[in-house]
Amino acid sequence: MDEVLLSVRGLRTEFVTRDGVFAAVRDVSFELRRGEKLGIVGESGSGKSALALSIVGLIEPPGRVVAGEVELNGRRISGLPDRQLQLVRGKEVGLIFQDPMAALDPVKSIGDQIVEGIRRHRRHLGRREARRLAIELLREVQVPFAERRLADYPHQYSGGMRQRVMIAIALANEPDLIIADEPTTALDVTTQAQVLDLLDRLVSERRTAIILITHNLGIVAEFCDSVHVMYAGRFVERTTVEQLFRAQAHPYTEALLRSVPRPDRLQRGPLPSIPGFPPSLAHLPPGCSFAPRCPAAQEICRDRAPATVELVSESTPVLAECHFARERLRT
Amino acid sequence: MIRTVGGRLLGSLAAIFGASVVSFLFLRILPGNPARLILGPLASQQAIQQQVRLMGLDRPIYVQYLRYISSFFSGDWGFSYSNGRPVREVIATRLPASIELGLYAFAFAFVAAVVLALLSTYRHRPVVDGTVRAISFFGLGTPPFWFGLLLLLAFSQALHLLPGPEGRLGPAVAPPPTVTGLYTVDAVIAGQWGTLGNALQHLVLPAVTLGLAPFAYLVRLLRVNLLEVSREQFITVVRSKGVGRWTAYVRHALPNAFLPTLTAGGMVLAQLLAGSVLVETVFNWPGVGALVVDSILRQDYAVVQTFILLSAFAYVALNLIVDVLYGVIDPRVRTPTGAR
Ligand SMILES: Nc1ncnc2c1ncn2[C@@H]1O[C@H](COP(=O)(O)OP(=O)(O)OP(=O)(O)O)[C@@H](O)[C@H]1O
Ligand code: SF4
Ligand SMILES: [Mg+2]
Repeated sequence: MDEVLLSVRGLRTEFVTRDGVFAAVRDVSFELRRGEKLGIVGESGSGKSALALSIVGLIEPPGRVVAGEVELNGRRISGLPDRQLQLVRGKEVGLIFQDPMAALDPVKSIGDQIVEGIRRHRRHLGRREARRLAIELLREVQVPFAERRLADYPHQYSGGMRQRVMIAIALANEPDLIIADEPTTALDVTTQAQVLDLLDRLVSERRTAIILITHNLGIVAEFCDSVHVMYAGRFVERTTVEQLFRAQAHPYTEALLRSVPRPDRLQRGPLPSIPGFPPSLAHLPPGCSFAPRCPAAQEICRDRAPATVELVSESTPVLAECHFARERLRT
Repeated sequence: MIRTVGGRLLGSLAAIFGASVVSFLFLRILPGNPARLILGPLASQQAIQQQVRLMGLDRPIYVQYLRYISSFFSGDWGFSYSNGRPVREVIATRLPASIELGLYAFAFAFVAAVVLALLSTYRHRPVVDGTVRAISFFGLGTPPFWFGLLLLLAFSQALHLLPGPEGRLGPAVAPPPTVTGLYTVDAVIAGQWGTLGNALQHLVLPAVTLGLAPFAYLVRLLRVNLLEVSREQFITVVRSKGVGRWTAYVRHALPNAFLPTLTAGGMVLAQLLAGSVLVETVFNWPGVGALVVDSILRQDYAVVQTFILLSAFAYVALNLIVDVLYGVIDPRVRTPTGAR
């Protein structure tokens, strides 16, 4: 097995709002190995983006990482001053964001925006050299006429092309880890497939580990090795993709899968809804946070928050936060 | 926002035409005989008859308008009876003072607005932000007349740091040889450094007084836009490349937030160049603001008329400059939108 690339322990991120302080990420721990493809799924507001930004220290006020440790390549990066984190961001970790329309500076050329990332970490490179690298990158993400399009501005690119530019920016310095926060949600179905295939090929070639955040279980099934299900700021189930589709230790995971109409041919598209509403993070129920919506909820669920249960199902490890996880997998 | 060159030019022409009609009608809709208004209350009947013919007041109105326009462009701006000199001469002696003061006031307002807006919105610092907002609130609400007097009391009377209300230069200093009419520029051209220093000292208080309200307005506008832009996702993307907070702010947030301020800045500058009678009065500044008010009071309308038309030209010219600068900053204006 490959060595551990990223290790997150007890990460907690809080937002201060008018209604009080609430935690969007609640003491999350996990590990990622070199070259691993991890999917993180969960409903809107479950804290996926907050987690991604917390890992690289990009949470801005009113948010704040209040606890936890992040280790990358065996080095602790949480709590570092921003000046030192800057050397990690864009170099060891690349980020891809959801909305390609909003992710690029409208008044700077595409070339300048790629070059900015290259030269930030390779200061000895001259302008010309950096531009040559930028053209190469654009070719790699299959932007046609890369050389000519370098001087163009974001508004002259289509959504799919912009997302390719974002991938180029994230890959510019050959990072060990890519965090892609819903990289294809804003694109049409055909473009989604193309961009995902491209991303898949590029990270596989380089053995880059990737955390792929998505609403879409179809994408997880095609793209990922392992998957973490996030609910109200916590991972409620962690396992391999195969195991997840075979049997679900957590009722929320089961509901997620059920809400996909045809499990044999997973459709691409947003997650159909699950009955009930996600809990308000400011007023979480005292016991299991899924209890108000859980069809299997018992007395104990409303009183005590479930601990993490470690299981093995068909020789695959499963971690789940449900009082009845063991029973559920056995049946 | 795509504004075509043709559309812009058409708009400019329309604005100038409108202003010329207004300033033309100005004399004709006022009660009384325009000839008498121009010659003044003491003119003889005969002189007025002559003036009527001279001005072509007995001709059809559109002929009068065309004559008025063509003489304006040929440099004949009429005669100012209250000064006993051609309007052009009168304005030429006053306008440079207003332009110089306006430019310095604008430089102060603009630079101060950019710096303070950056400081107040950079990171989440309620104390800095609160202070800047208080200053801007004060700036918008303070009458310039009162503020000017206050500054004079403090910096001239009490501290003796800056000269009192002596106009553009100290009493013992001779103006530099005229090239542009702007004393600071002419002093540099002539190499008269002492005169330059003296002119600058005399500019500080009036420029700050005149620039206070525009500064407050611009800082408020830029602050809001900066706050908005700094929440945009592309700023996070820039940071995710490893770029520092301040660099991301100045290199990416500022240019994007700047566009509305640029437009407002052009209008503010046009307004500042037109002079301000209150500030000119407080500082004894020989500008056009006081000239225009004087002329109105003395019913010397030829001056007022010219002033209206000149202001229109200034507005239009500044608007065009702003449009050009807008295109320099914002590629969406210069290149067509088109997903390829
Ligand atoms: N700047 C902020 N100020 C206040 N609350 C915030 C802020 N950013 C995020 N939150 C809150 O943190 C919680 C988690 O948000 P987050 O964006 O991480 O969710 P998500 O899982 O990424 O959702 P989505 O699928 O919609 O992107 C939400 O309740 C959200 O309201
Ligand atoms: S602990 Fe209870 S409420 Fe929570 S998921 Fe399990 S069964 Fe449902
Ligand atoms: Mg999100």
